[in-house]
Amino acid sequence: MEKVILLRYGEIHLKGKNRGFFDNQLIKNIENVTRKIDSKCKPSKVGGRYLISEFSGENLERLVSACTKIFGLVSLSIATKVPSVPEKIIEVLNDILSNDEFDLQFAKSFKVDVKRADKKFPIQSTEFERELGGVVLDKFPDLKVNLTKPEKTVFVDIRENGSTFIFADKIKCCGGMPVGTSGKGLAMLSGGIDSPVACYMMAKRGMKLSAVHFHSFPYTSEQAKQKVVDLAKLLVPYTGELDLYVVSFTKIQEEIHKKCKDGYMITIMRRIMMRICEKLSEKHGFQAVITGENLAQVASQTIESMTSTENALENLPVYRPLIAFDKIDIIEIAKKIGTFDTSILPYEDCCTVFLPKNPLIKPKISLVEKEESYLDMENLVNEAVENLELIHLS
Amino acid sequence: MIFLDNASTTKIKNEIISEIEKSCQLFFNPSAVYSKSLETKKHVLNAKEQICNALGVTYNDNLIITGSATEANNLAIIGSARKKDAQYIFSQGEHPSVYNCALELKNRGYNVVFAKLKQNGEVDVDDLSKLLENDTCFVSIMHVSNETGAINDIYRIVKLVKSKQKDAIIHCDGVQAFGKFGINVANLGVDMYTISAHKFGGPKGIGALYVKDIKKLKPIIFGGGQEFGLRSGTENVQYILAFGKLCENLNIQENYKKVDEMRKYIIDFFSNKNDVTINSTLNGSPYITSISFEGVRGETLVHMLEEDEIYVGTGSACSSKKGALNRTLEAMGKTKVQNEGAIRISLSSENSLDEIKFACEKIYEKFLILKEKLR
Repeated sequence: MEKVILLRYGEIHLKGKNRGFFDNQLIKNIENVTRKIDSKCKPSKVGGRYLISEFSGENLERLVSACTKIFGLVSLSIATKVPSVPEKIIEVLNDILSNDEFDLQFAKSFKVDVKRADKKFPIQSTEFERELGGVVLDKFPDLKVNLTKPEKTVFVDIRENGSTFIFADKIKCCGGMPVGTSGKGLAMLSGGIDSPVACYMMAKRGMKLSAVHFHSFPYTSEQAKQKVVDLAKLLVPYTGELDLYVVSFTKIQEEIHKKCKDGYMITIMRRIMMRICEKLSEKHGFQAVITGENLAQVASQTIESMTSTENALENLPVYRPLIAFDKIDIIEIAKKIGTFDTSILPYEDCCTVFLPKNPLIKPKISLVEKEESYLDMENLVNEAVENLELIHLS
Repeated sequence: MIFLDNASTTKIKNEIISEIEKSCQLFFNPSAVYSKSLETKKHVLNAKEQICNALGVTYNDNLIITGSATEANNLAIIGSARKKDAQYIFSQGEHPSVYNCALELKNRGYNVVFAKLKQNGEVDVDDLSKLLENDTCFVSIMHVSNETGAINDIYRIVKLVKSKQKDAIIHCDGVQAFGKFGINVANLGVDMYTISAHKFGGPKGIGALYVKDIKKLKPIIFGGGQEFGLRSGTENVQYILAFGKLCENLNIQENYKKVDEMRKYIIDFFSNKNDVTINSTLNGSPYITSISFEGVRGETLVHMLEEDEIYVGTGSACSSKKGALNRTLEAMGKTKVQNEGAIRISLSSENSLDEIKFACEKIYEKFLILKEKLR
């Protein structure tokens, strides 16, 4: 009686000729995740599903938890695998019921759902459903059969390859598209609540991410940097392996403060961050910059501010998956994915250093460019990129 | 490395490390009945006597060893709480391990009030006097402020409280005083006094509570009944012995003289410098000096000094977040700018005047650089 995990995918089935590409990426992602937990386990494709088998029983819970975070999957079930022989199926079902693995003891109603992909199986689906229903009722005589709205369903999936899977519950996964099927992006990770959620959203649509963080030691502390490393680690189960580029922003901020008008600090800072992102993209092939910006949340997130920030980029698009979210909705996702508690730790990020008394809310690009002309832009950007620290998270 | 954050913790003295190593041989549980355990118990009692000697009293079932001073403060406060409508008094400048116990009592519905601080950081005894009611049952005032070094006149406070309500229990958090000043808890007249080992050369993970009358205290940890049932848990024999050893040779006068000289240098150095305020009073402990550098963040200065391997403490952790200002400095009426720019220099007898001279130069130099950059 072998326990296996059945994985169901979502949108991929809408794909046409290129479906193989999505399929291959997803199985690769499943392999990467599950092999780290159990080196012996075997992910494979069975019919329209994926199957994880041959793992050690003590790893079951960790495997299930990890699989719920793999984008591209919509649900999974812990199933018992038996040979497709009627007597064997009944015997194993009896064992399962004896342990009450399906929590039927306090349920009120149930049904048995048999799917017979293997037409050589000797008993018809409805007939076998009745027979297995009888087995359940023998063990739990107080249960009622309800075919339209049962509280519990016992699924018996008879596959073409001679194996049958018995399971009861479907555990929800995150949905989305397999990471690695929608290009490469560079996400700006500040340490706040929004940016990790933005990463999650883009990874969910299949984008392979790297992250960049700007820190300003000694104005910000080592803890502030460690917090971002911790956040990035929390994202890894969703994004897969993640490269985090930590860029020292101290000198740039000091230069802006010294040479440019006070109100332009944030605008120019963000434009330089974009230029650094562009440099990194040229080097590593990122196709977009991802930010957690959100219309009207703070001064740097007015339409004018975002336009002037984006204007610093020559060839890269900026994706802002949270642009139209309310803060409470962002917080809800942050809590769901487990980044919220780390995000609210009270360490400064570089944006709160040199904070101008009156930041420009509607910066004019021509005036911003004039202020920037006082800076040795190329050297500042190059120096920052040359001296960055790369932290690989897996 | 120049370590000037000794109010947070200190380096363990070499002779204490040897003592711990040696006492590891004595691994027996003092509660067991065989002779080896009995021998261990004797060593523990001997150490408790040494600690009590340093507190100016004879050991007589009046010292409870805990896992930290925080735990001792919790035991003193939570373990003394009885009537909810009677009054419990604390000061606004207490260490978090006292202050948060007070807030916890308040949350549980107890009548908790806070005495103000004076501008020099000492508890305002006039305000305390006004707060005292006929039903005041508990007062907790720290001996030496961990933030500014301000010394409270505990003797006078005890007299004042007892004159109004003779049965009130008076607790004193003596963590920044013990080992640095000659303490006599009997003369002070307090009912309870908290001490810690790691603030003057001992290991972390051990504190103690002197209790005049253990019958008045209820436990907050339950188990095998060690420490007169007030703090269950197998005795930390190694650290108790280390704590005892630590109390044996305190060199209080000699150390005080040395540290006082260093403190005088710091005060002289920073007096009359523009945008620099010394928050500590000259009447306070020479071991702790709080200084505000206006217009910069204390934490930034701390990080800049770190680059030169000079370690000082911050006043406020992080100023941009709400509620992050230093509570003690706030209660002393310091401005927001002074509060944000505060650092704490805390000394030990292991520091030297040369170190202090070098560090003062560096601190001021970094302050000027930062000030210039932020201009």
